[in-house]
Amino acid sequence: MNTTPPSPYVTLISSDGFEFIISRDAACVAGTVKKMLDPQSNFAEAISGVCTLGTINGVVLEKVCEYLYYNLKHRDAKDVPDMEIPPELCLELLMAADYLHV
Amino acid sequence: MLAGRGRNKIRPPRRGLGNNDNIDFDSMWAELASSLRDIHNKNASQLSFEALYRNAYKLVLKKRGEILYERVKEFEEEWLANEVQPQILDVLSPSLLLASTGGNTITTANEKRAAGEKLLRALKQAWEDHKLCMNMTTDVLMYMDRVYCKDFRKPSIFTASMGQFRDYVLRTPLQPDPDHQISIAQVLNAVILDQVRMDREGDIIDKSLLKSCVYMLEGLYETEEEEEHLKLYLTSFEPEFLRASEEFYRHEGSTLLLDADAGTFCKHAKRRLSEEEDRCRSTLSPLTLGKIKLVIETELIKNHLREVIALEGSGVKYMIDNDRISELEMMYDLSARVDPKKEELKKAVQARILEQGNNVNNATVAATQAPPRPFAPNGGKSEEEKAPEKPINLQTYAAINWVDAVLRLKDKYDTFFIQAFQSDQGLQTAFTRSFTDFINAFERSSEYLSLFFDENMKKGIKGKTENEVDELLDKGITLLRYIQDKDMFERYYKKHLSRRLLMKRSISMDAERQMISKMKMEVGNTFTQRIEAMFKDMAVSDDITAQYKRHVAQLGDPDPKRAEIEVHVLTSTMWPLEAMAPSYNEGEDRPKCIFPSQIERIKQGFEKFYLDKHSGRQLTWQANMGTADIRAYFPEMKGAKKTRELNVSTYAMVILLLFNDLPPGQCITCEEIQAQTNIPFNELTRNLQSLAVANKTRILIKEPMSKDVKPTDRFFFNDSFYSQFQKIKIGVITSGNKVEDSTERSETEKKNNDTRGGVIEAAVVRIMKQRKELAHQKLIAEVIQQLTARFMPDVNMVKKRIESLIEREYLERIEERDPPAYRYLA
Repeated sequence: MNTTPPSPYVTLISSDGFEFIISRDAACVAGTVKKMLDPQSNFAEAISGVCTLGTINGVVLEKVCEYLYYNLKHRDAKDVPDMEIPPELCLELLMAADYLHV
Repeated sequence: MLAGRGRNKIRPPRRGLGNNDNIDFDSMWAELASSLRDIHNKNASQLSFEALYRNAYKLVLKKRGEILYERVKEFEEEWLANEVQPQILDVLSPSLLLASTGGNTITTANEKRAAGEKLLRALKQAWEDHKLCMNMTTDVLMYMDRVYCKDFRKPSIFTASMGQFRDYVLRTPLQPDPDHQISIAQVLNAVILDQVRMDREGDIIDKSLLKSCVYMLEGLYETEEEEEHLKLYLTSFEPEFLRASEEFYRHEGSTLLLDADAGTFCKHAKRRLSEEEDRCRSTLSPLTLGKIKLVIETELIKNHLREVIALEGSGVKYMIDNDRISELEMMYDLSARVDPKKEELKKAVQARILEQGNNVNNATVAATQAPPRPFAPNGGKSEEEKAPEKPINLQTYAAINWVDAVLRLKDKYDTFFIQAFQSDQGLQTAFTRSFTDFINAFERSSEYLSLFFDENMKKGIKGKTENEVDELLDKGITLLRYIQDKDMFERYYKKHLSRRLLMKRSISMDAERQMISKMKMEVGNTFTQRIEAMFKDMAVSDDITAQYKRHVAQLGDPDPKRAEIEVHVLTSTMWPLEAMAPSYNEGEDRPKCIFPSQIERIKQGFEKFYLDKHSGRQLTWQANMGTADIRAYFPEMKGAKKTRELNVSTYAMVILLLFNDLPPGQCITCEEIQAQTNIPFNELTRNLQSLAVANKTRILIKEPMSKDVKPTDRFFFNDSFYSQFQKIKIGVITSGNKVEDSTERSETEKKNNDTRGGVIEAAVVRIMKQRKELAHQKLIAEVIQQLTARFMPDVNMVKKRIESLIEREYLERIEERDPPAYRYLA
């Protein structure tokens, strides 16, 4: 298969067509995305580096991406500042988190 | 937290997935199933993970998790049974089957090996594929695992499918006959074992292939709970492996024992151990390491160790004799593995020490008895007198040789001990015990050791550096540690020391002091007390002599003819006087030597001087220990100076002074000499011998000329004596320290026993005084414990001493007491 090292960036596409290009490390914070991109399993997503997430809309996915970076940044830190989460998005974010296994 | 700030209304989730609420399970499953098949066929690149995941996600959300789970399991089951199993069965050649059922195969090793490798490869492939597919499946069904399996406490789909692999691939019965159930797993075991055996026999095998199959076994468990100890590897493979190894090594051990020598055996065993270690690391599982080592240890080492150690011509004995340190080290290593106490090795080495020690002892005895006595039966009384000088030197020589030999032996074993036996504590005690045994088995060891010191103090340490002397003394002290009868040694040492001190034979007083301090450290204070007192006496005597000289000078009586005197005043209890005067018996007064008048005057002068200073003391003159310097005039001496300075014993001086009063040419008989001097006869003859018989110091001429001195012999002053030296030392024959003859010896022993009796009584009284009442056994035990530092008390002797103490009413028996006990009577 492709022996070149995979690109350091991957694309996440929301159900309503927004594309988020984020670093692979950040994307892999989400368990589901990590498995999806696992080069060993060779799914279509792993080869193309593009994940279409049919259950998440653009607004939520933006917040998710923000969180992924936030998580990556504060991975080993203590006393991290809280992340701003608009209350209206809570429930949907929770569902997305469950889905993405964050 | 969210609720707290909840001014804004929470937006309900958009029903994105709600639009087809009544999802059609069957169609979704069909999609999933085909995808799973694609995955198993390695066609995954066409599939969208997200789509599959979403499907599973929805199914689980809609409470269809259970059906999904079951369906997936069914699917896997089918796949394994229909696709994987036949592949494996295909490569299973009949020869392998036969081999694993124990039937005799006629296939050559190569065929078997090829078939085996084929099977291993196929299994490995199947396993790896299965693992990969299951990983992917699990990934896709992650949501199911996370939600459904957790909620319902089902094993994850991965675990479940692993169990299926175990059941449908490995555990498949190969033959319809239920009596001979044989599964692929068993064949696999047999193949692996075969490969391992080939490896042991030196063939080259594909280790990584084996390793991956073992990995497979390690990855599978007996139950779905995946408990560590229920790995298939541990439950099915390992026991068989250990059994096969046991058999292999048992066989190898017995053949090796027949063919190889001990060294090779050790090397081989060691190599096998490291081989198995490697094998566990590179081919099998590290889990087996300890167990397989145990197998080798029992089969190869433990069961054969005794034989190997005892192997004629190559066993431990041989190794010791030939300084095979590396082999001994291996031997130690192996023994240490199977037996923390190393009994066998210990025994063997001990036996060898004893054997060599006894050889030394016997050789010494032989050496001392070897010199044939020139006049055997008819020598009569005089024979003892002329106890030939040579054999005596020989005996001394033998004594020193003995000590040397023992030290050499000790050195040798010390080397082994450090280099081969890793300074093992247990072995050290064993060594010590053996040395103690044989040294004490040799009854003259105390005497010989003391002689060894004596010899070294007199001659041996000449020209040696301080360190060398130190080392030498240390060695001697080591031997002293082994000697049980330390009081015996003390007796001899004192005797020898007194001679050294009085005759000024010791080369270095520093060395003497060093020796004392070493003994003090080794045996304790009480032991050296008396010896130290001897040194003190010497120092005090020097003082007194100096004082006396000053005193005489003050008297102002410058008499040119006056002889100078140097006196050693010795405390009689501290000095072994009986040793200095062998013929002196208790109760019988020692014949007093009659001194010539000029000497007698000095003697009295000193006595007066001394008793003035210390009233209430009694001075006894031990003329037999002294020496004198006299200036003799030989009228017929050739050369310019006709005087010579003679250094002679006191007795010899007394004898020579008799000739002063004699007109030239006159003679005097031996009997007359004795009458005039009252020197004990044996001393007299000895002195006369050295004066008249020895060639270089013939101051007197004896008639008739012969070696022996008879009472009727006549003596003349030898006017024509000549020596080119100005100073001449005339030693008294056999005045040096020598080995005791048997009568002296038994006397020493008797004396020693008397002392011991006293020491034992003292110990008994000491103990009883403290305890007031004590049982017999305990008393004896305590006495022995107190005294072992000095000597091994004989139990009978202790009993006798207790009896005698009872008679003297120090103790009494407590009536009606069982076990018997004693009471101390104050």
